[in-house]
Amino acid sequence: MNCILAVKMYITKMTDESGPGMKVLLMDKETTSIVSMVFGQSEIQQREVYLFERIDAGNTEPMKHLKCIAFLRPSKENIHSLAMELRRPRYGSYYIYFSNITPKADIKTLAEADEQEVVREIQEFYGDYLAMGPHLFSLGIPISYQGNGWDHDILSRCVQGVTSVLLSLQKNPFIRYQNNSKMAKRLAETIRQVLSKESELFEFRQIGPPPLLLILDRRDDPVTPLLNQWTYQAMVHELLTINNNRVSLGHVQGISKELKEVVLSAEQDEFYANNLYLNFGEIGQTIKDLMDEFQKRSKSNRKLESIQDMKNFVEAYPQFKKMSGTVSKHVVVVGELASLMERHNLLEVSETEQELACQEAHSQHFQHVRRLIANEKVRHEDAAKLVMLYALRYENHSNNDTSGLIELLKKKGVSDRLVKMVRTVVEYGGAHARQSDLFGHQEAVVQITKRFFKDLRGVENVYTQHKPLLVETLEDLSKGRVKESLFPFLGNNSNVATKRPQDVIVFIIGGATYEEALSVQQINQTSSLGIRVILGGTTIHNSTTFLNEVDAASARSRIQNL
Amino acid sequence: MAEGGGSVLEGFLCPVCKADFGTAVKLLSHFEKEHNEDKDVLQAFKDLFGKAKKKILKSDGVYGNEGEIQASSRKVMGYSPSLYEPQPIGAVRSHSQQFSAVRSQHLEHYTVETNKLLIRLDKILKDLPSDPLKRKAHEQEVVPWVDEKMVRLCPSCSRSFHLTRRKHHCRLCGFVMCNDCSYSLALDTARKMTSPISQVEPQTELQGSSLPSQKLKRSNSNSSLNSVLSLVEGVHQIDTGLRVCKECLHLLESREALRESRAARPILIQFYERLRTYMQDANQFLPTYIKMCNSISCGESTYQLKEAQALWAKLLRLAENIDSLSKKILVLGSADTENPPRGRALQLQQQIRAAATAFLRNEMLGLPTLPTEAKYLEMQEQRRQELKARIQQEQLEAQASLQLQKQKVREKGRDKQTFDRNHVNVHQDTVLLDSGWTPEKARLFNSDDPMVQQMNNLKHYIKEAKLAQRVDEVEALERNLEELQEEYWRQQEQKRQETAS
Repeated sequence: MNCILAVKMYITKMTDESGPGMKVLLMDKETTSIVSMVFGQSEIQQREVYLFERIDAGNTEPMKHLKCIAFLRPSKENIHSLAMELRRPRYGSYYIYFSNITPKADIKTLAEADEQEVVREIQEFYGDYLAMGPHLFSLGIPISYQGNGWDHDILSRCVQGVTSVLLSLQKNPFIRYQNNSKMAKRLAETIRQVLSKESELFEFRQIGPPPLLLILDRRDDPVTPLLNQWTYQAMVHELLTINNNRVSLGHVQGISKELKEVVLSAEQDEFYANNLYLNFGEIGQTIKDLMDEFQKRSKSNRKLESIQDMKNFVEAYPQFKKMSGTVSKHVVVVGELASLMERHNLLEVSETEQELACQEAHSQHFQHVRRLIANEKVRHEDAAKLVMLYALRYENHSNNDTSGLIELLKKKGVSDRLVKMVRTVVEYGGAHARQSDLFGHQEAVVQITKRFFKDLRGVENVYTQHKPLLVETLEDLSKGRVKESLFPFLGNNSNVATKRPQDVIVFIIGGATYEEALSVQQINQTSSLGIRVILGGTTIHNSTTFLNEVDAASARSRIQNL
Repeated sequence: MAEGGGSVLEGFLCPVCKADFGTAVKLLSHFEKEHNEDKDVLQAFKDLFGKAKKKILKSDGVYGNEGEIQASSRKVMGYSPSLYEPQPIGAVRSHSQQFSAVRSQHLEHYTVETNKLLIRLDKILKDLPSDPLKRKAHEQEVVPWVDEKMVRLCPSCSRSFHLTRRKHHCRLCGFVMCNDCSYSLALDTARKMTSPISQVEPQTELQGSSLPSQKLKRSNSNSSLNSVLSLVEGVHQIDTGLRVCKECLHLLESREALRESRAARPILIQFYERLRTYMQDANQFLPTYIKMCNSISCGESTYQLKEAQALWAKLLRLAENIDSLSKKILVLGSADTENPPRGRALQLQQQIRAAATAFLRNEMLGLPTLPTEAKYLEMQEQRRQELKARIQQEQLEAQASLQLQKQKVREKGRDKQTFDRNHVNVHQDTVLLDSGWTPEKARLFNSDDPMVQQMNNLKHYIKEAKLAQRVDEVEALERNLEELQEEYWRQQEQKRQETAS
């Protein structure tokens, strides 16, 4: 189960099927992102694709000697534009691939438009999602809630996205969903409708226990997206925001032109691929090693005396160039992270965040939060997030003084929106909206002993003690211990369905996070658990985008309630 | 256990002196140091920990796994493809059949229409009178015109006709439309359309020469002012061309476009196709060359240095060709200063060049170089020494066991026989190992040793396979040969040792 490979194979097949010759890739806005997540430009150039064209660009320059590979979502607008294109074809021949199930009527519309018989192939290749990593996918939907319910378009996009993941990995799963979420249930049901309607398509030869699709709601764990992160990928996303593998560094002072926007792609950047899950300290060390090595090489290049030396240099050139690019890029990124960390006192903030997420000690935490709010260096966002975490953990604590902290926030000059967000977050993901024991209040004996041994070993890293709720759910799942009352099977097939699946696809409505992606990676590498997991979400959140989502969700729910 | 857990949560208290030690390890070491006179208590204390641990581990497998996760968390790799087993391509579904079924059904109508129009066009063009009135009659004879009284509004723009917006007939379908909705089909274009494909080229040239004279004649018959106007605005051209409606024109034009695009083969395509063949050739030779190069720089004699050098030269030539050709593609058409390639066309040329340079950089620049001949000989010698040393080493080890065997079985007569044969073989051997350099004819094909015979045969096969460019087979054969050679060496050495002893 590898998302990136799945999409890559689809695109490779497209370029193969069209045979030799110069090619242009015709895409829409979304498929452009889908392709760019798995293929670099130079890589796809070697497959004879030289031009990229947006179907909505309105370009009319004819180039009859090119073959056109059209990779499009089967949306109404795309069908319409494509039909127009086929009536007056710009290219010699067309190989059309829709990224999802396409209605027969649309195929007919296109067939009638193809008066010049330029279409050679028309197929469905189910790469209808952003492959963020081998085990991580996103649908690029920044805001998925409409109050407590679905927006129709977003629901159907989610259904399409998840079914295309299933099809591209050849999985026909049983479905479980989070019981307290109406949205999860609705999505699960709609997906099952597609599964049964297109049952021919979902006939796969399955080895081993049938796979499972687990649909969750972000509301069950509002804590994870609020925390500051310390592993490389998650940290870059939290502090600098990764958008389709791209990180904008335009705001950094004195940055060179080519580094204004850097691409962080595990597919093309070996250094990044090896280090995206390492923590900040380790990254610093790795970068230093890398620079040392680079310096060694560049020094040896200076004394190019003999021809043999020069030859060696030229021979080493591609690696040399690649390496120098990698070094400067990551040095800049890590440098920027370090300066942000320094400027905003993030270490101290993060320590308190982790304590709030993992331990129960009201008076101590209250003091810490107060002290940090008073600290000049602490950013307004961070101060507000601390109060949010406090409000979530001590929502029902007898000494809860969220109002007092909110007053302090106001005094600090935190914007009204952020101050209001404290209440909104509790409204969004407070105890009433959760079904799991996020903070471990009703600890069973097992949990106490677990904690006991955790303390025995000592905390290895105070900044990364938090484990997302998802980890617990998945570990329980691997042992067949997930309760049906909390995560029921869809339909009454629980006796047929295995309780201990091997392949699990998790989809989180309201977005996943890179911290969860890292945890899933760890679970996948722990062979004793015996499960392989793919994580997906409507989007991949950092705290800023998450708060936007929470804000939008509640604003709409308020309007609905009126 | 629960109570124990509760109290420990408060701190790690020593049961004797009630001091808090923070961690269990510290507590234990403290206990062993300070209270070691109290052996029983210590034992009990240790037991308690052990039992508690066991109990928890048993009661809850989670702990064990979790421990594993945390341990592994440090060495979590990023994206390593090796973690993921290969998977088949995802599901696909083809609509091509349905598509072409609908399309052919739909197109049938169009082809019939287009053919009808072409036949009519052909008839009109045949003996078309130049006099306007006669011409009109001729046109009407071929295509009956619709009675214009029946039509009140222009069917395409649905505006009413009046004195200034007059009715016109399409010469091909005979229907009525207004001036704005009609198009003029130039006569020469029309002739081109009706001419068979094979005659397109010469016909156009002919048309080109005949057209000006025709135009000239027409402008003569009109006033000179009109002719100037017609040249400037093209208003008058509707008289010289055929008035047709939008639908008819579209049908004819799309057929023409299709015909043209099938015939067109711009120079870029020809260059590009040659570029691709070069790249494919390079891709074909590269793995062989790298293998040869590696083998040669190890001092092996499976490949000949000259062979590799030839291949290297071939690759170099290919690289040069790719470079120069892609440069040519880059500047294609830029000599035409008035109409240089721009927009997408230019971008295409740039991208092709970029792809070619990337190919050269990634595939060709980093290639290992071959050693010089002198160095090669040196390396070969070195390898031979190494091989010898290794075999000798093996021999020494084998000999010890052999000696034991020999003491048991001693048959003089047989010993002598092998001795004789050995003498011959040793000579052959020296020739054989260097045979990478000796010419074919000098080689002994008839040897009394079956192994030598076999090796010679194999070498012959390899040569043949190489000529036939069957890389896979060459590889397999070479592997066989290598094994044989090593075995042979071993045997020879063994025999030599035996004779020596």
